[in-house]
Amino acid sequence: MKRAIPVLVLSVAGLIPVWRYAPSHDTGSSSATQAAAPASTPSVSSSGGTTTTVVPGSTLDTEKGPVQVEVTFSGDRIASVRMLRQPDHPQTRAAVPKLIEETLQAQSADIDTVSGATITSDGYKESLQAAIDARG
Amino acid sequence: MRRVEHVMGFPVSVRIDDEGFPEAPVDGFFAWLREVDARFSPFRPDSEVSRLDRGEVPAPGPALREVLALCEEYRIATGGAFDVRLPGRGLDPCAVVKGWSVQKGAELLSAAGARRFCLNAGGDVIASGGPWRVGVRHPEHADRLCTVLDLTDRAVATSARYERGDHILDARTGRPATGLLSMTVVAPTLTEADTVATAAFALGAQGVEWAAARENCEVFAVDAARRVLRSPGFPVAGAQGVAA
Repeated sequence: MKRAIPVLVLSVAGLIPVWRYAPSHDTGSSSATQAAAPASTPSVSSSGGTTTTVVPGSTLDTEKGPVQVEVTFSGDRIASVRMLRQPDHPQTRAAVPKLIEETLQAQSADIDTVSGATITSDGYKESLQAAIDARG
Repeated sequence: MRRVEHVMGFPVSVRIDDEGFPEAPVDGFFAWLREVDARFSPFRPDSEVSRLDRGEVPAPGPALREVLALCEEYRIATGGAFDVRLPGRGLDPCAVVKGWSVQKGAELLSAAGARRFCLNAGGDVIASGGPWRVGVRHPEHADRLCTVLDLTDRAVATSARYERGDHILDARTGRPATGLLSMTVVAPTLTEADTVATAAFALGAQGVEWAAARENCEVFAVDAARRVLRSPGFPVAGAQGVAA
């Protein structure tokens, strides 16, 4: 845990600019954030080889309201970070559309071009795109 | 008109359907991409990027500044998962340069009067006019598709490991991103589609919602369990009343 606490502090410090980030508006003001309540007691559970530790972070008062995160460690590694408190501000209410879940299909179709991971010039010869280019 | 040339180590296919479109702007398009390669490649010791990284130039020029600003924007937006400055490695803005430069190249063609054209830069696609039928390569079968979309005046990019292995690292951990098999993003420009796809891939499973929540971005992701997750607005061909 001695190593985990500095990591947690760095994580919180790292999250604040991310959350504060606004692309075009809200320039200028950069009032300092203040650390308030100290971190609560972490809960530790152990199963098998690795120890899972959940650490609630300090509450940070920012200009848009209080922010608190909870970090779950698997051993010394951060497994996940969860927002416990966040201000009611549009920027923090990410509008994630309802994602449609499907099974992966393998199909063939008449197409104009193919999108895929970047292929090298060496790999091009055997690619679908090369066949489309050759067909003209 | 169709042309294929190899620039920056990948093939670039150009198809322009406008009747009698001249060759000169297409020459200009490829010349621009070669110029970008000479200036921004981290693999060339004499490039602006390499010299900047070695501290030999005091400040980046306007174009490189634009690229680096985009890199920083996505580093912040991904909480550090996408980073062009990894510890122990040189500055490598390739992930942004590709989409950005091909998008600029497409704008050169539009400015020269091209209206209906389709560019494919090593798997990244810009569709001008349309609709163009764009297949998305199946992540496990090189000769098959996992979906087909109808694309008009938009761009699509896919990030995956099947072509070049674990080349995308999660900069938060320094380890290869392995949460997804492939990540396809449709956006108004290739600059955005390519960078969002790469950044989302670096984020792993959480990158799917992150990308889907971005304005004007539609996603089609295949996760490690071969499950497809797509946003409702992803322009699947023949679905949802897309004009054909």
